[in-house]
Amino acid sequence: MIVGNYLAAAALFCLGLHTVLTRRNLVRMVMGLSLMESSTYLLMISFAYRAGSTAPVLLDPPHGKKPEQLAHGNVADPVLQNFCLTAIVIGVAVTAVFLSVVVRVAQHYRTLDADRVRAMRG
Amino acid sequence: MSTAALLPMAVVLPLTAAALAPLLARLDRRLPLLAGLLALAGAGAVLLRALPDVLDGRPVGTRLGGQAGVIAIVFTADPLGTLFALVTALVGAILLVYTLSELGGLGGRELGGYAALCLLLLGALIGSALTADLFNLFVWFEVAALASYGLTGFFLERPIALEAAFKILVLTTVASFGVFVGTGMLYARHGALNLGILHDSLGVATGVADLVALALLIGGYATKAGLVPFHTWLPDAHTAAPGPVSALFSGLMVNLGIVVLARLGYQVFPSSQVPIMGLLMVLGLVSALVGAALALRQDDLKRLLSYDTVSQMGVITVGLASGTASGAAGGVYHLLNHALFKSLLFLCAGAIVHRTGLTNLSDMGGLARRMPVVAVAFLVGVASIAGVPPLNGYASLSLIHHGLETTHQTIPAVLLAVAQAVTVAALARAAWLAFFARKDPPEFTERPRPGMVTGFLSLAACCVALGVLSRPVVEHAMKPAAGALVHGDLYASAARGKVTPIPAPDVTLHYLAPSSLLLTLGCLLAGLVLARVSGRVVDAPPLRRLAALHNGSVNDYAALAAAGTLAVALAVLT
Repeated sequence: MIVGNYLAAAALFCLGLHTVLTRRNLVRMVMGLSLMESSTYLLMISFAYRAGSTAPVLLDPPHGKKPEQLAHGNVADPVLQNFCLTAIVIGVAVTAVFLSVVVRVAQHYRTLDADRVRAMRG
Repeated sequence: MSTAALLPMAVVLPLTAAALAPLLARLDRRLPLLAGLLALAGAGAVLLRALPDVLDGRPVGTRLGGQAGVIAIVFTADPLGTLFALVTALVGAILLVYTLSELGGLGGRELGGYAALCLLLLGALIGSALTADLFNLFVWFEVAALASYGLTGFFLERPIALEAAFKILVLTTVASFGVFVGTGMLYARHGALNLGILHDSLGVATGVADLVALALLIGGYATKAGLVPFHTWLPDAHTAAPGPVSALFSGLMVNLGIVVLARLGYQVFPSSQVPIMGLLMVLGLVSALVGAALALRQDDLKRLLSYDTVSQMGVITVGLASGTASGAAGGVYHLLNHALFKSLLFLCAGAIVHRTGLTNLSDMGGLARRMPVVAVAFLVGVASIAGVPPLNGYASLSLIHHGLETTHQTIPAVLLAVAQAVTVAALARAAWLAFFARKDPPEFTERPRPGMVTGFLSLAACCVALGVLSRPVVEHAMKPAAGALVHGDLYASAARGKVTPIPAPDVTLHYLAPSSLLLTLGCLLAGLVLARVSGRVVDAPPLRRLAALHNGSVNDYAALAAAGTLAVALAVLT
């Protein structure tokens, strides 16, 4: 059920946002952002869904279908799935930078509490 | 090869140099920066070759990746994008020259990594200026963001760089989710990513899902642009980074957000059906006022300048959101001017911090005698922002005011003038405290290096030139730029591959008009008076409460950005 997917994506997004807004532990904040990111993937894949469609592997038509049926939207939207792939690659890079910054913060300040890493204000 | 086919080279060259930089650093530590200069010169040459056609009202476009119509990525060089890309290449090259002399003492590995990140950021900015594809914009947004994370945390001269890097990471990542989901929603509904096709499809019918997507996109790109309430990463990132990196962020990177907001407002969404201009006007005015007010309070020089960036981004947004050809021309003009004078000011601030180790204005004083070159450069920058007539700020600000006055938007015009006066006060106070206040300056002698002087001289010369030559600049560059924005449908048709000449709208700069001269004089006087009494004003309770909002907690900053996106969504939907 596709509406269920949308609801799940929204719930995951809000859960991640809640973590980012309320947790002070830097690692937990990174995990919250990761959760938000995953929810956007779920959303994109659900956008790509079409009732009765098959995976967008266009080398051969699926069993029992003719090639021309593919062009009539009988596959899930490959562009949105490509969005996801691109975003996953970017997400990996961002998470790596995130975690290395957290490691440096932990080495420097000897804490992971965001409230004790706030010298700049006003 | 034709000019159009060469267009992608403007992005490919900096990206190639970025990839090669760490390798070249093994041969010689200066080599990466020199390769970067070459790549930027090549990119500039490609853009310059396209410029005559573009300014003549014929956007140059090319298609990348297959012939499958809808899916191919389209690069369309319109006047706004081309001018921004050219300034990016120019200022980027100046900053690289400056870095060669200022940070030349670094080792090979550091210089290689630094050059790679800078070129990555510059390539992404040029790409975002030229592309006419919504998902490609998201990719450039992310490339610029990744490079900016690296640059913020690159120099651990001060441990606050780590704090700043974490804040910019959290806020930009949240913004990127907005951009990503917004892009996906628009694609899912309209089946297209090309800005031109989206423009046509949205013109036929704009549904609720489109409006939600618009709100997410505005929230995301406004974070990059540093508009209030999405601006909280900006002062921290600028304070922690060294001078050239701050100049790169403030002069060039934030403009990415503004350029995309301008495109969304004029060239993608039909402003007749969506209240996008009113929304941008409110965002711009709030940013202009809040940024200026907070700048007045600051004691840290670089923090003061970065709050002023927030304010100037607001001014540009107001010009664009006025919806008039004159205001749009002024907005684009101010965007280019800001890239020049804010880079200049940040280089000066960086030079002071680097030489004296002082960051707070209250510790400085009397630096004019020790650092005459920096003092002169700083004063040129301040005079440009303040809108002193022969310099460039005056021309762009009077165009924006002219646009607001001719359409009788009195309240925005008055608020803009107030923001301008407060900006004058904040910068005059900074210049006075740093350079002229009676205090024994620290014992050292300034040895201006050639690269540093080149950087100051060329940026200051550009500020003066764009001011003195304002009439031809408006006539030949800003009029076409405003034309491509006001005639959004013609840009859309060019993005679809069907180039129709874009007529230049009627924009005239009344350089010596009594109203703009009086306005400038009034702002200057009010600003100087305010600077004189600023000690008493800044402790007023409303200002103190405003500053207390910026409490340094990354959770609260993320909450502010999320609340801002919600507010934008509510404003768009009702």
